[in-house]
Amino acid sequence: MTNDRLPISEIWVYLSGDPLFALVLTLATYQLGYMIYVKVNRHPVFSPVAISVLLVTCIISFMDMPYQKYFEGAQFVHFLLGTATVALAVPIYRGFNDLKGKLFPITLALTIGSAVSIFVGVMIAKSMGAGSTIVGSMYAKSVTAPIAMGIAERIHVSPTLTAVFTVITGMLGSILAPYIFNALNIQHWWMRGTAIGVGAHGLGITRAFSINDEAGTYASMAMGLNGVLSAVLLPFIIGYIRA
Amino acid sequence: MIDGLVQILIWQGMGELISKFFIPDIPGPVIGLLLLLSFLVIKGEVNQPLGMVADTFRQHLGLLFVPASVGVVLFLPDLKTHGLAVTLALLVSVVLTIAVTALVLKFFWKATHDE
Repeated sequence: MTNDRLPISEIWVYLSGDPLFALVLTLATYQLGYMIYVKVNRHPVFSPVAISVLLVTCIISFMDMPYQKYFEGAQFVHFLLGTATVALAVPIYRGFNDLKGKLFPITLALTIGSAVSIFVGVMIAKSMGAGSTIVGSMYAKSVTAPIAMGIAERIHVSPTLTAVFTVITGMLGSILAPYIFNALNIQHWWMRGTAIGVGAHGLGITRAFSINDEAGTYASMAMGLNGVLSAVLLPFIIGYIRA
Repeated sequence: MIDGLVQILIWQGMGELISKFFIPDIPGPVIGLLLLLSFLVIKGEVNQPLGMVADTFRQHLGLLFVPASVGVVLFLPDLKTHGLAVTLALLVSVVLTIAVTALVLKFFWKATHDE
């Protein structure tokens, strides 16, 4: 009976070597982030993703756990990205019901918006001397993260940096969008929703739904459409630019 | 719940297969999305379990890209060197993206509707 109780340090070694640890860490920090986010009335500065990433990064650095080790456990969450992408068909379909002749202007606006996003991001990063890893990850950053990462793999740029830039873009866009709309005197909710869905994807949608349902529906649809169009067109456009 | 998840996984599986054998340039899940969307348009409604799972995913989409984003630790030195370039590129581009998208819609709407 003497060996029944492991010293606490050994329990720790056992747990941190297990995929369960990374999984719990990911979910628990996200849950904490989400609680904080709800508490501050869903202010986009407190994005649950940003809080979770920050905490996980600090904790694994503090523990000297290599990223690869962390990812072994966290990949179970990562895997669901593809499934979540397919599920985007539902908000796009719901948006279709409400369109009434707006599909053409929306598609036109999001194509131009998306092109601006890529062009400006890539040009600024390039002209200020950022390396090809950073510049490459600017291509898909305005697309919702699950699709963006799929695109990143296809065009051979870092999915990780793409995901990080996507999260930051979502935060910046959600924070700044109301000021941009007021400055430009955009009043229709569907226009506001579409623009925030193109510019600030997932976090923008949450923000839009918390203000107005119509804006939220249009934001979801715009994000989905933008993702699909980018996934279909980007590999060809980039092949053309690089050729 | 499981019912909805199974439906989505089946469309995803078909998307992956089509991507692998026919259109490798487009990610499988995006093809799955398009298949499911066509199915919904033909069917004319979203069944309740599917809607529930889709809403859950949409609400917590962020959780799913935490594992990848933590990989930022691998790029910290590079990001530190080019901090200003990255910040400016992201900031200017998101502001212009939102502004341009909204303006295109506004002008198009004004041109076709007299309000």
